Amino acid sequence: MTPVRRQLCAFLAPWGVGLVILTAIPMIGSLLLSLTSWNGLTKASQTQWVGTANYRSLLGLESAALVAQDVPLSSRLLRGQPGDTRFYKALSNTILFSVVAVPLGLLASLAVAALLSVPLPGARLFRALVYLPHLLGGVATLLIWSWLLNPQFGWINEMIRCVFQLIDPFVKSFCGSGTADWPVPSWLYSPTWCKPAIMLVHVWTFGASVLIFIAAIRRIPRPLLDAATIDGAGPWQRFKNIAWPHLTPVVLFTYIVGMIFAMQTFNESYLLQNRAQQDGLLFLATYLYESAFSAPHRLGYASAIGWIMCLATALLVLPAIAFSRKWVFESGGRR
Amino acid sequence: MTRTPKIICTYLALIAVSAWALLPLAWAVTSSLKPLEDVYRFPPTFTVDSPQWQNYSDAMTKLPVARFLANSLLISFVGVIGAVFTSSMAGFALARLSFRGRRLCFALVIASMLVPSQVLVVPRFLLFDLLGWIDTYKPLIVPAWLGGGAFNIFLFRQFFKTIPQQLDDAARLDGASPWRIYSQVIMPIARPATITVLLLSFVFHWQEFLDPLLYLSDLEAFPISLGLRMYQSMAGTWANLLMATSIVALLPVAIIFVVCERQVMRGLGVVGKPW
Repeated sequence: MTPVRRQLCAFLAPWGVGLVILTAIPMIGSLLLSLTSWNGLTKASQTQWVGTANYRSLLGLESAALVAQDVPLSSRLLRGQPGDTRFYKALSNTILFSVVAVPLGLLASLAVAALLSVPLPGARLFRALVYLPHLLGGVATLLIWSWLLNPQFGWINEMIRCVFQLIDPFVKSFCGSGTADWPVPSWLYSPTWCKPAIMLVHVWTFGASVLIFIAAIRRIPRPLLDAATIDGAGPWQRFKNIAWPHLTPVVLFTYIVGMIFAMQTFNESYLLQNRAQQDGLLFLATYLYESAFSAPHRLGYASAIGWIMCLATALLVLPAIAFSRKWVFESGGRR
Repeated sequence: MTRTPKIICTYLALIAVSAWALLPLAWAVTSSLKPLEDVYRFPPTFTVDSPQWQNYSDAMTKLPVARFLANSLLISFVGVIGAVFTSSMAGFALARLSFRGRRLCFALVIASMLVPSQVLVVPRFLLFDLLGWIDTYKPLIVPAWLGGGAFNIFLFRQFFKTIPQQLDDAARLDGASPWRIYSQVIMPIARPATITVLLLSFVFHWQEFLDPLLYLSDLEAFPISLGLRMYQSMAGTWANLLMATSIVALLPVAIIFVVCERQVMRGLGVVGKPW
């Protein structure tokens, strides 16, 4: 080996070792585990290969009664006869959360990035303030949010009540009765309101994508925009025909990364859960954690949940990539 | 022609967004200074009548918060050094050295970013258990020394790409080895990227919750994230102290960000060009 080659190996060695030991082998291990019934306590020799049983019982493909009745698989799925109702709840909660929160975050960060790319004195301060929540998101802020959203003692509902009071006279003159008996949301203490609540908390940490969009907006060629203005294009036309095409690669990137992270959400779900929600915040990641690390330690089952999660993420992300030729604009061809 | 109203509107919108960003902090600061009965007052107040500064000292003593902070600092410090070191080396190789399989390696970096970490949770736990690393900091620190996160490698690689190749060529003509080019030519220029990765991996370690939850069971060894969780579960009744502890936990991150804000903004700018 030449010295240069040896140095090259040294540069890549830590990452390479990590990739093999901490990613590749665990991935294979997880796949194998998901095909067993191991609970981590019994000896490996007593562990049984169960084939796809973990997956089938998660997805409810072999609910005994229906199999006996000879009901075909497709109609069993349609009838919603899941083997594991909590798994289905976790799956739908996670997907609903990701599908709403990620595009919402994209729209919000695009709008704020547009505001912040206007050259104004003080823009730097605002940019830093908008980015700050991204760094502060963690256990501490989640606990703060859970108090902020407290239906009685939190500020969010107090502000809503203030707004209600403000519009009270108008509502009275239009509908007769006032806003006094309008209910305020119970946020984290309701099976339905907990979902918008957690989306709100998630979108709050959108600062990173704002910065990415600001950088992208700066790369839009000025002359193009100026030429369009001279030709009489309005703001909407300029956005739609010039700015948006230049932003699409970044939109795709942010969508993919955001989706992958949203589908893995653990902290929000784990820390903000309570009984009143009736599993309204049960996510795949929390259900996986529960299955693996509390009795009866179904490690194989948990690994299967991990792979279904992976598959679901791929199903949400791959179409965007597959159709990227249709909507993502590549300026100047290849990189 | 309608410039002034437009600027005013922009400012108003920016102030609204910033207020929204700071709302939880404002809540935490005010609650942490209120006596307990004021936190549980209906309707809630937006102001503090008489600030209870002793809440902070109470919060530090009810649980060994200083200990938690010290633990977190230790984990973050060791982890950050590893992450900056190993991810910049990998980024350098991917951006600057030409070798067969470079494109493949870069593709692997990107691909490993896309693997949901939850798939790896159980096997990694078994692996670390096998190595006897449960109840040590090794499961939290060693991964940082083995590549330090795909995103950090990506960030370094993107930043290195913006540095003119002529610098390397000149150094190479003078007989510099790749290691010297890395440590004495490229890294000194790449300070924004270094500081960005420093901050991001510090934040990552500081906030890490699931891994400590899995690997640590001794209260004395808890980082601040687990300490906060303890506060919440054992003391639903000490909301003001919980908020004081949260503020203390957020302070280091906020301070570091304020100190190196300019560099971080520059460093993150390169990520905006994803491909």
